Amino acid sequence: MSTRPEELNVLAVCGLGMGTSLILRMTCETALDRLGLKATVSHTDLSSAVSQNPDVLVGQGMHVADLAGIGTIQIVVEDFVDDVALESQLRQALSDEGWL
Amino acid sequence: MERQVAAIATTAQVAHRVDNWEDAVRGASRLLEDLRVASADYTDACVQSVKDNGPYIVLSPGIAIAHARPEQGAQGLGITVLLLREAVRFGHETNDPVDVVFALATPDSDAHVGALGVLAKALRDGLANQLRDSLTAAEVATVLSRAVENDI
Repeated sequence: MSTRPEELNVLAVCGLGMGTSLILRMTCETALDRLGLKATVSHTDLSSAVSQNPDVLVGQGMHVADLAGIGTIQIVVEDFVDDVALESQLRQALSDEGWL
Repeated sequence: MERQVAAIATTAQVAHRVDNWEDAVRGASRLLEDLRVASADYTDACVQSVKDNGPYIVLSPGIAIAHARPEQGAQGLGITVLLLREAVRFGHETNDPVDVVFALATPDSDAHVGALGVLAKALRDGLANQLRDSLTAAEVATVLSRAVENDI
């Protein structure tokens, strides 16, 4: 448990950091909007993600597994276009962290 | 800076089956070559990306979006789809098997953002099932074209 940052820094990750992660970023923005949270969402590739320190990391299982320790909260996303599922995952994870 | 909204070239093909994921990616990407929005190098790069980074392009159950970097041989803005009547496995932990294989080429990052935004919205609105319900390649192409708001 920690204090929620005033503006959440969310990082969407994928292999090349330009196609799939961009779609995830858009889905993430929709989900965060509905949760009424102020957030900056960016997207990047796996190797650049290693040097970043986001509040929330979102990506596929195969990538999140390679990024242990990156992100206070890590969320594994199966369906990159399902904003309803991601909203529910975010709500749960943020509540668990005491951020919601 | 002035920004222009370029038209997105689209086309589609239906295949009963392919031998493996690589053939599926090549099939979808060759359609980009047919549209003259990507080179053969781009198709190779799409395949190599999956070999290097894993089957992450399977971004939703049954759906893959093959793509590479613009500088790897993209020559224009295009989205194609290869619809497989028999789904193929990409080795994805949750989203296999795949029967809707898109390929995407964008000449620069601005166009990239716009095209992907359009495609993401269409997928949220049920594009994959509309494609699956199409009977012919021409019908698939029409559905895709309408989804990305192109005149045909």
